[in-house]
Amino acid sequence: MRSYWARRAAGAVLVLLLVIAANFFLFRIMPGDAVSSIVDPRFSPEAKERMRELFGLDLPLHSQFFIYVRRMLTFDFGLSFLSQRPVWDEIRSRIPNTIALLGSALLLSSVIGTWLGVHAARKRGGFVEKLVLISGSVSFSFPSFFVQLVLLLLFAYTFPVFPLRGTVSIPMPQGTLNLVLDYIMHMVLPAGSLVLLGFGSWAIYVRNLMVKTLGKDFILLARAKGLSEERILWNHAFRSALPPVLTIFLLALPGIVSGAVITETVFSLHGVGKFLLDSILGHDYPAAGAAFYILGLLTIFSNLVADAAYSIADPRIRVGRRAER
Amino acid sequence: MFRTKVILAAFAAMAIISGAAGAGVFDLSAISGPKASDLYMVIYRDPDSQILALQKGELDVLGDITRPVDVERLSENPDVTLSISRGFHLFFMGFNLRQEPWNDMTLRQAASMAVPSRQIVRDIFSGYSEPLSAYLPPASPYYEPDVKVWEYSPEGARKLLKDAGWKWSADGILIPPGKNAPLKPFRLLSPTAQVAPTTAEVSERIAGALKEIGIPVSVEPLDFSMMMKRLDSHDFDLFVMAWSLSRDPDSLFAFFHSSMDVRGGYNIQGLHDDSLDKVLEELRFAPDRATAENAARRSQKMLSELAPWIPVYSRYMVTAVRKGWNGVISTEKTSADNMWTLINMEPASGGRRPVMWCLSDEPRSLNPLGTGSAYDWQVLGLIYDSLIAIDPETLDDTPWLADSWKVETAGEGSGRHTRLIFNLREGIRWHDGNPFSSKDVKATLEFLKKNEIPRYFDSVRDIEKIEAPDAKTLIVTMKNISYWHLHNIGGSPVFPAHILENVKNWETWQPASEPHPSQKGLTMLVGTGPFIFREYRPGEYVHFVRNDSFRLPGRD
Amino acid sequence: MKSMPRWSFAAFLFILAAGLFGPLLFANGPQSTVAKPFAPPAWMGGEAPPPLSASLSPEQPSLSIDWKWTAPENISIRGTVLFDDSPANASLVWKTPDGKTFILGSFSGSGEWSVDIDARDVAFKTDLGVAPFQSALGLLFPSQGNIRISIEGTSPSSGSLDVTVPGGKWGLLGTDQRGRDVLSLFIAGIRVSLLVGIAATLLASLLGLSIGLASGYLGGVIDSLIMRAVDVLLSIPVLPILMVIVGIWGKGLWQLILILGLFSWMGTARTVRSLALTLRETGYVENLRSIGASPFYILYRHLLPEVLPVLLATISLGVPGAILAEAGLSFLGLSDPRVISWGRMLHEAHGFGAFTAGAWWLILPPGLGISIICLVFLDMGRAIEEMADPRLLKGGRR
Repeated sequence: MRSYWARRAAGAVLVLLLVIAANFFLFRIMPGDAVSSIVDPRFSPEAKERMRELFGLDLPLHSQFFIYVRRMLTFDFGLSFLSQRPVWDEIRSRIPNTIALLGSALLLSSVIGTWLGVHAARKRGGFVEKLVLISGSVSFSFPSFFVQLVLLLLFAYTFPVFPLRGTVSIPMPQGTLNLVLDYIMHMVLPAGSLVLLGFGSWAIYVRNLMVKTLGKDFILLARAKGLSEERILWNHAFRSALPPVLTIFLLALPGIVSGAVITETVFSLHGVGKFLLDSILGHDYPAAGAAFYILGLLTIFSNLVADAAYSIADPRIRVGRRAER
Repeated sequence: MFRTKVILAAFAAMAIISGAAGAGVFDLSAISGPKASDLYMVIYRDPDSQILALQKGELDVLGDITRPVDVERLSENPDVTLSISRGFHLFFMGFNLRQEPWNDMTLRQAASMAVPSRQIVRDIFSGYSEPLSAYLPPASPYYEPDVKVWEYSPEGARKLLKDAGWKWSADGILIPPGKNAPLKPFRLLSPTAQVAPTTAEVSERIAGALKEIGIPVSVEPLDFSMMMKRLDSHDFDLFVMAWSLSRDPDSLFAFFHSSMDVRGGYNIQGLHDDSLDKVLEELRFAPDRATAENAARRSQKMLSELAPWIPVYSRYMVTAVRKGWNGVISTEKTSADNMWTLINMEPASGGRRPVMWCLSDEPRSLNPLGTGSAYDWQVLGLIYDSLIAIDPETLDDTPWLADSWKVETAGEGSGRHTRLIFNLREGIRWHDGNPFSSKDVKATLEFLKKNEIPRYFDSVRDIEKIEAPDAKTLIVTMKNISYWHLHNIGGSPVFPAHILENVKNWETWQPASEPHPSQKGLTMLVGTGPFIFREYRPGEYVHFVRNDSFRLPGRD
Repeated sequence: MKSMPRWSFAAFLFILAAGLFGPLLFANGPQSTVAKPFAPPAWMGGEAPPPLSASLSPEQPSLSIDWKWTAPENISIRGTVLFDDSPANASLVWKTPDGKTFILGSFSGSGEWSVDIDARDVAFKTDLGVAPFQSALGLLFPSQGNIRISIEGTSPSSGSLDVTVPGGKWGLLGTDQRGRDVLSLFIAGIRVSLLVGIAATLLASLLGLSIGLASGYLGGVIDSLIMRAVDVLLSIPVLPILMVIVGIWGKGLWQLILILGLFSWMGTARTVRSLALTLRETGYVENLRSIGASPFYILYRHLLPEVLPVLLATISLGVPGAILAEAGLSFLGLSDPRVISWGRMLHEAHGFGAFTAGAWWLILPPGLGISIICLVFLDMGRAIEEMADPRLLKGGRR
């Protein structure tokens, strides 16, 4: 068991190094740099050359690479080309909004989805199951930006219940409670739309797991023992279906960042997803590289934690079999 | 040809219309302020949210409205006043003059005649742009209307080519004179920028028009950086691009002088013309305004014959202001979203309320030494003043921190150089209460020069010495002769010497988040401007309060 | 799940047919302008005018139009006329039903007179005395009744002036920001969505199939390495990576298909692998191996046929992902602007202000189109899954 974890950790480090290298070269082969996309007749070629020096873009590639690796490992991401502020500061200022958005969306959609899924499995052919099956397919089939734009237009303009943009009203409301309420009002549409788009997939996944579990021998045994249906459902069946649900939850963490890119664009939120988009479009390598690096860390970390969670929650299952779900 | 006079009349008519609505005060001496208590520059990046917010009343001023559908919608909105002005935008197609067949002037002229700029403007911008045949934006004081105009006429283009010995193949492709093979297909590089969804469309129209006269062109949409790389390595046939220029015609030198055909230079098309070079040098190193004007006019005439570009259109600047504000200032050449409006506008109902001003992108660093971003400067421009301001109506120089100035040519023979003498205004104070003096200007220019800061590099590199003989006099001696030194030095923002001396590293300086050492509520963003910076909440807004001690020139 | 005949197969065939043959129904192709920009559908356009065109010529020096609609969005008068005499003052005169006259242009001298009038020109508006933002058409078409356009002063000897009024409403689904027929664009978009969806998923499935088979059949270190890679790739957010790669490779349709294919094989690989694992353990494969059959033969002859139906299901289930990814990238502006796809339509609708203009006919068709096509493929996938292997039904993959 210990050697397994050692192997896993070594693997994680290897992946991390791969991510760093891929990052560096990915952004190196991208055409142009921040300086070459400055087009301003008031900037002479000499002034641009001076700018390249400042960003270290005039150094040979290999020295740039070593500087890069060292910086990544020490979390010193340098200055953003676009803003000339430390990249880490830029990212840090955006993390709270993204966590609030994605965290609440993921939590709500997984809780609602799980609850619906369990109930769908209990009564096959019932209303809840139909709802789950239909909402699962439908919410998966709509382009997220389309749904979000329509919601924005409907509930922020036609029926102006919610604000159009951002996370605070202007001028800012006074008092902590009002501030929090204001923040929540601003988050309802973005996070709500993500829940709307996401809960169906959860529900279907949990329902399928539960259907499988409810057909297993130990459930039959529990039924034979005369335990109440409610208890069988939650204490026996759901408990045994919990590890894969947890795993999926953890593995979904990095993936939902994709959702943040579009959501933050539509609702003008100051978050990491929009930052990622801007840095890529603006060829801001230090910023995009750092954002990717953090995503990579998040991926590796959630994979490791998922493994750990799986083995802790269900020790019967040999670690590493997760892949065969 | 484009009935320039009529259009000018149109803008004059507009001024009257907005005057009726309580705005349109053009006499600068009648401006006073600032009158609004607070200013919020609210960040709305999405054009849809901008329009919706304006309609909901969450925004008071929205500049740079580009989509015709929005203009039409807002023009029907009784709560909004629109104003239009000619901008400094210029969209063109460039040829690669380094290679055949584009080194042939006749072909370029014929191509210019083939592009229906006027129809493009109608169909793509619903008329809210100006078709161009010039190499400077028409709003420029140096614009020369009397040039060779390649009026749209495909038949004329064909005739021109035929007379020059061009022939057409069986399938209608041009054959260069003295050759047998028809032209090979060309690529028109077109950036796929988010900001201008219309560019792809315009490029397609141009390519289609060129095909009409037998030039086989297809559009290649490219990421902007990718395109710049191709242009930098001269790996292109044709390209489209847009510039946002300033009032000075100095840009002509940057675009067309042969010395600018270097890596990172803007003579992208590779124009080398000795006689034009001469005139452009006269323009860049003109000792006075008259010489500059003369050279600017001559170079425009020469350019229209050489046809190194096909100028296509220039966008009008459309600005919307909510009704209920008096004192909005807009002219034919300056759209309503300007500093003068900000200073002068006040609620029609009396009293004071904050102005909500749209900022269409994040001000990313708010470091006046490092940033070149236009959005940063929308914010910083209200905090920092320069010696000279630009008159919104004539675009001429007008007093600001300096009361008056002189441009002299001093020295002998090859050592002749420009000397600028500024008389500064008295009684001006920095936001933190310290008095402003010539020492501040001297310290600013010296700081910019010593650190070779890219943004100011070109403005200050020719400074020989800076003298401040007394608190209200500043003498800047340049190394060479150029009238533009006045605008470069006089237009540069002035920073307080007592703050500059504490800047350790200008690249990473973050004045917006460093609190002021002695004044509570202030940051290190201390200027002399009409508004005092309070707070920047990333992704949300920038908050200013009115500078009570601000005085406009002439009312010290 | 359901025993009733699947609606999705019929729907798929219909969509396929529409994608293949639909564009043939439109004579002019989707790029041509048919009416004013953002024209509503004909059935809700109300009093808006239909498209009109007429000519002024020597035979017909004046036109009389019986106007029965609201003012149009635009009018253009274009062409060249020749005069034999040298008119002192020839003019183009517009007379409204309420008796007002406007001189739209005048000419003196000799030879040919080129007219190029468009009501959208700011100069034209100000000539008539309206502000640049107001439409001059309200003046020219103040009410219903008889409108007269004529060349006064003299009459031309040859040539003609074409008077064109764009329609104020159009077809089943109106027009977009360029005045193009939305229905025609919508149908042209089916092809691209189908192509991207199917080609990318096909590529992904082939990749997934080979990797999955190799992994499952070979086992050991290769298997665990591949599965580890699958885990990592599955949890990495794909959209940002796609954004970067599109930036490097360019925005062509085929590049997009290739990229989408390269980043979506993991699910298939995993499914195929577990199937291959199960099959490997079955008796007959063991037997084959013991009699010395080559791994390739076993893979090809015995494993592949077993896996194929499942593969078909994964393809069908994978198509929506690819279509949605294309739409997402298009929305962010990362697709080829020359290719009409539904995602591109939504991107342009958004970029040109259809949402604020309330032009639902530009937004709903591509948006709903994407979701319907995705639903069809999802349902088909499930159906194939069930048919192929009822045991999988409870396995619960989406």
